[in-house]
Parts: sequence; C-alpha cells; structure tokens
Amino acid sequence: MKVLTLNCGSSTVKYKLIDTESQVNIATGKVERIGMIGASLELKVPDGRKVLREVEILDHVMAINAILKILAEPKVGVLKDLDEIDAVGHRVVHGGETFSGSVLITDRVVQTLKDNIQLAPLHNPPNIQGIEAAMALLDVPMVGVFDTAFHSTIPEHSFIYPIPYQLYKKYAIRRYGFHGTSHRFVSQRACEMNGHDCKNRTMITIHLGNGASMAAIRNGKSVDTSMGFTPLEGLVMGTRCGDIDPAIILHIMRQEKLSLHEADNLLNKFSGILGISGRSSDMRDIEELYFAGDKQAHLVINIYAYRIKKYIGSYFAVLNGVDYIVFTAGIGENSPLIREKSLEGLDHLGILLDKKKNDEVVGQEAVISAKDSATKVLVVPTNEELVIALDTADIVSRLKK
Amino acid sequence: MRIQKIGVVGCGTVAQGIALNIAHAKLEVIMYDETENWLKEGLAGIELTIDNEISRWGLTPADKKAIMSRISTTMKMRDLKDVQILIEAKGRSLEEKAKIFMDMEAICHDTTIFMTNTTTIGVTDIQKQLMFPERIIGLHFILPVHKSIIVEVIKGIHTTEDVVKTTKFLMDTLGKKSIEVYEYPGFVTTRIIMPMINTAAHVLLEGLASAEDIDRAINLGYNITQGPLAMADEMGIDVALTYLDSIYKQLGDPSYRPCPLFRKMVREGRLGVKSGQGFFKYDKMKRRIQNS
Repeated sequence: MKVLTLNCGSSTVKYKLIDTESQVNIATGKVERIGMIGASLELKVPDGRKVLREVEILDHVMAINAILKILAEPKVGVLKDLDEIDAVGHRVVHGGETFSGSVLITDRVVQTLKDNIQLAPLHNPPNIQGIEAAMALLDVPMVGVFDTAFHSTIPEHSFIYPIPYQLYKKYAIRRYGFHGTSHRFVSQRACEMNGHDCKNRTMITIHLGNGASMAAIRNGKSVDTSMGFTPLEGLVMGTRCGDIDPAIILHIMRQEKLSLHEADNLLNKFSGILGISGRSSDMRDIEELYFAGDKQAHLVINIYAYRIKKYIGSYFAVLNGVDYIVFTAGIGENSPLIREKSLEGLDHLGILLDKKKNDEVVGQEAVISAKDSATKVLVVPTNEELVIALDTADIVSRLKK
Repeated sequence: MRIQKIGVVGCGTVAQGIALNIAHAKLEVIMYDETENWLKEGLAGIELTIDNEISRWGLTPADKKAIMSRISTTMKMRDLKDVQILIEAKGRSLEEKAKIFMDMEAICHDTTIFMTNTTTIGVTDIQKQLMFPERIIGLHFILPVHKSIIVEVIKGIHTTEDVVKTTKFLMDTLGKKSIEVYEYPGFVTTRIIMPMINTAAHVLLEGLASAEDIDRAINLGYNITQGPLAMADEMGIDVALTYLDSIYKQLGDPSYRPCPLFRKMVREGRLGVKSGQGFFKYDKMKRRIQNS
C-alpha cells in the first residue's frame, strides 16, 4: 500500500510517501512559509534527486495540492497517477483522553479534535487544517496517529497531578505524554532486534531530540512518561526547562513583572540547553565546546545527563527491574558522550556500558552494553513516519475486508 | 480575504508598533515616510522594542530575524500601490490625514481598504474629502501597540459592513480584540483614561504626593498595571496634551482642561519615554530608571 504521511505545522507541511509492504520511502519533502511571501516546495527522492521551488502557497489546501502535483509531475514526480496513493496518515499532536490509538478520520473525529483544541492550542489547529485540506483534495481513507496515544495506558496514579482534583474534571489537566509514536516504534524494534515480542519485558525508552522525553514500558505498554500535561515537563531540552519547582516561575513573574506570554516563552524558548549555556540550543555545539574544555558546556552536559539518570533510577523503581534501555532521536542516536554520562555509575543497577562499542555507534541500530550487563542498552533510530504509515495501512486494510 | 501585504504610513511610535505587530503575525509590511532619516529611526525603534522584548523573554532572536525580514521601507508613496490594506498613523490633524488619503486614492487600487489611527479626529470628516469614502475606517490602538490587546474600531458614516468585517478579521490575525465604538471625541479608552491622567498631574502639581507615590497608589490600590503618570510618559506628554486639548474643545468638559504641568513639560522638552524624561526618567533602551 502507498501511504502519504503528513505532518502539518502552522506554516509548514512535512510529507513522506511510503510503500508499506517494502517499508521503503518513495519520496519525502516539505512545504515551508505557508501564507507568506517566498513559500517553498521541496521534493526529495531516495536516489538523491532534489527539487526545490519557490511557489505561492497561501494555505494548507494549496500546500497539500502542491505536494500532490509534484508527486505526480511527469518529469520530477514519483507517481504516474495520484490514484496510486491508497491512504493518508496524519500526525496529530494531541488526542486528549478520547483517542487511545490511531483512528480512521471521520467528520466526527475531526469535530472531537476541534473540541480538544484548548489542550494543544499551538499544534492541533494546523493538524486539523491539514486533515481538512487533504480530505478536500483526496478521496482516500485517512488515519490520524496521535503523539499522546501510546501513553494512554499510563495508570491513574501516574497521570493525576496532586493539585485539586476538580481541575482534572474541569480542564482535563493530567499527564498525557508525547513522542508516543517514537517510544512505541523503538520499544517494538528493540524487542524485534532481540528476537522476541514485548511480552514480559520491561524497558526504558529515551527519546533525545530538540524535545526530549522518556517512557517506562512494561509488556509493550507505556506505564509512565516524563512529559506531562504539555511537552514542557521532564528532561532538560534544547530550549525547554523540563522539571523545575513551579514556585520559581511565580517568583520570577513577580520579580520581573512578566506577562503570561513572557513567562511561557522563558520556560519554553529560553531555557534548557540554551538557557544554561547562553550560547546554543544545539547539543552538537555544546559537545564541541565541552571537548574544548569549556566550563559552562561541562555544566550543561552534566545537568542534562544527570536528569536522564534520575529518571532512569525512578523508572527502575517503577518497573522493578529493566530488560532494555533504548536511546533514540538526534542526540540519543548520535551522542556517545550523552549516553555514557547518563549511564555512568549505574553498575549497582546492573547497567554496564561497552565503552568502545558506545563510542563507535552513531545513527545506527546496535547494542552498546557490555556482555555481562544485566540490562541491555540499545541505540535504535526512530522512524515515526513509518509507524504512521503502517498504522494507516493496517486500519485501511481492515476497512477493505 | 487572504491578507498578505499591508502598508503603513508613518514611522513614529504608533506606526512602529503597528508594523511590528503585523510582521509578528507573519504578514508582510511596507512602511512609508517622507525622509530616509525618519525611516531609519523608525526601523531602529522597532529593533529596540524587539531587543527589549528579547531581554525579558517576550521574543526570541529568531523572532527578531523573521520580523525584521517582513518589514520594508520606502520614501515613494507609489510603492504602496499594491497593498491590500493601508494603515495611516502619521497625520496629526484632519487636514494632514485627509491629504494622505487623497494622495493614496490616486495610487492604490479601488479595493484597498484604508484605516486611520485616530484618537480624536473623526472618520466621517476624512470621508467627506474622499472619492470612495465607504472603504475607510478608524482604528484606535493603545500604546504599546504590540502588547496591548485592545483596539477600538470606529466606523465612519459611510463605512461598509464588509470593511468592518475585514478590519475585525485583521485585528483577530494580529491577536487583538476589537470593540466597535461610535464616533465621539476620545472614544471609550481615551475618554475614560485622560481625566485620570489629568487629575494625577494636578495632584502632583498641588504637591499632595510624589509622582512615584501617585502611580503606586493607583497601580496597587486599584490593580491597574501602570500608574497614570507612567501612562502619560508612555503616551508622550505632548500627545496627552493634544488629546486633552482636543476633547476639552469638543466636549467643553472641564475635567479635560489640561493641567498646566503638561504645557510646562512640553516647553522643557520632557516628552516622556521618547525623550528620556517625563514624569520619570528612562534609559537609552527606553526602560524606566528606578527611583527617578
């Protein structure tokens, strides 16, 4: 089945066309600067060919239309006819409490997403615009795959915050967790790599991208995760602070007379790696400084890795022992330093890294723990689009039956 | 209507705020004014506002780059011919505003919507001098424009409902709540706030309390984020004086008769934030110097 996956932001649409039988990417690309002067359309095919055009794209309908046109364009495209697209899979950030798995998109689903907008005011509106635009242009089944869905199995004692319970009832304030598609993919892949399914296995998955989160997984199901009501909680991230004492922000707001918007920006855009380093939000820059002996970069790396270590410890307790620890996403896949620092001194928990192996592994699947490590440590590159495509194919093929 | 490009006539404090607000909402904006120097100062003012925002985490350096890339300037009115909406924030009198719009009518498409930022000048009075009076509408922004979320929308007698609708849509896009008001001196906001500012100046003149304490009393006593004297500094002492004079002339209500302190301050060049000193003192970054 040929599935087009779409990831719609407010002014961008990222897409991938995937053959789900062979699990091969047929084409990838993006539209940027939607609604602005100088909008661009990009198409990349696996043989290395790349097309980049400046086009007038005023909204998501025009963006998706441009994507469809270029995919089927005689000289540069990869499809003879748009009929070859069997289904569309949409990444949706927030499914709220309604969606515990991927769903076939109907008018009712779209309405429910609209009802949930207040939970993800930045992300869900463009997701919905993308869905409506695709529905207007293509007459094929569409599936929504939610970032929150994988964490819907988290038990109540973990997702309820210790604040007045009525706030949960009134505003659905609870832990939702994000990066679910990635945690799900790498946890399953880790089991496959070891030749069994996820039953009776416990693992900790560590997704370290610009945003970062961890999940505690038992029997293939998420039982806890570090991100919470929003993607701000948990680990130290590129520009987000992760866990801090909530009273700090109230204090700063009072001292600096900050507005809600400024306080929100302070925590989401000026904190984390950027906030501590004062120089960059990119871990690659910080590592470069670290190896050059920069003191502040050492502090960043230590804080970053220490937070991961603390979560590993707490998830060890949650899971009562861990079979696998899986690193994924930009930093998780490519930074031996962060992996080493995060696992340093955990030998009492039975975690022993093969230092040489760890240093060698960059951006590829591998086991990096020592042979006598009780917990296996793996690196598994994530592939969220593939999960979206496979879920879509699965739901659509059942529909056909 | 898909709005992509907006023209702004003027590059003073209000015009800077409008341009910044538009560019931050991801729309293209072209600013017109008569001299290169004014435009340069206008752009520098916008950059300074953004830098202040960055220093208090309101905007990021990436936001600054994106915002500045969407703002262009020109000294040729003709360069505004293709904008869909034109916002004027330059004319200080009815004559100046009418002249700008008459000139723009000769340049812009018939469908271009004209908006004028006005506090005391009537939209209908401007309409009387135009060929297509139905397309002009009044806006009253509150300073600082990029932060205040309220805009008063003033319909002239000939303004069409379509123009009102597009105006409200644009204000939504800019993240502002619009309230529709009738044409009347000072509309709602200026009409209500000016007697308080005027009284605060009288209280200071009469020696009841220091400027600091007057503002603190109102600020903390009534939970108003800014005291009346700081508000006047932000507005510009000369501008506050113009508002008071104009409303007093039109309504005859003595609560708008300007406190003599305003004229004295204008004579001395103490114009508020923009001159570095008004009721309080300000540094080069336009930040209040404490205990001033």
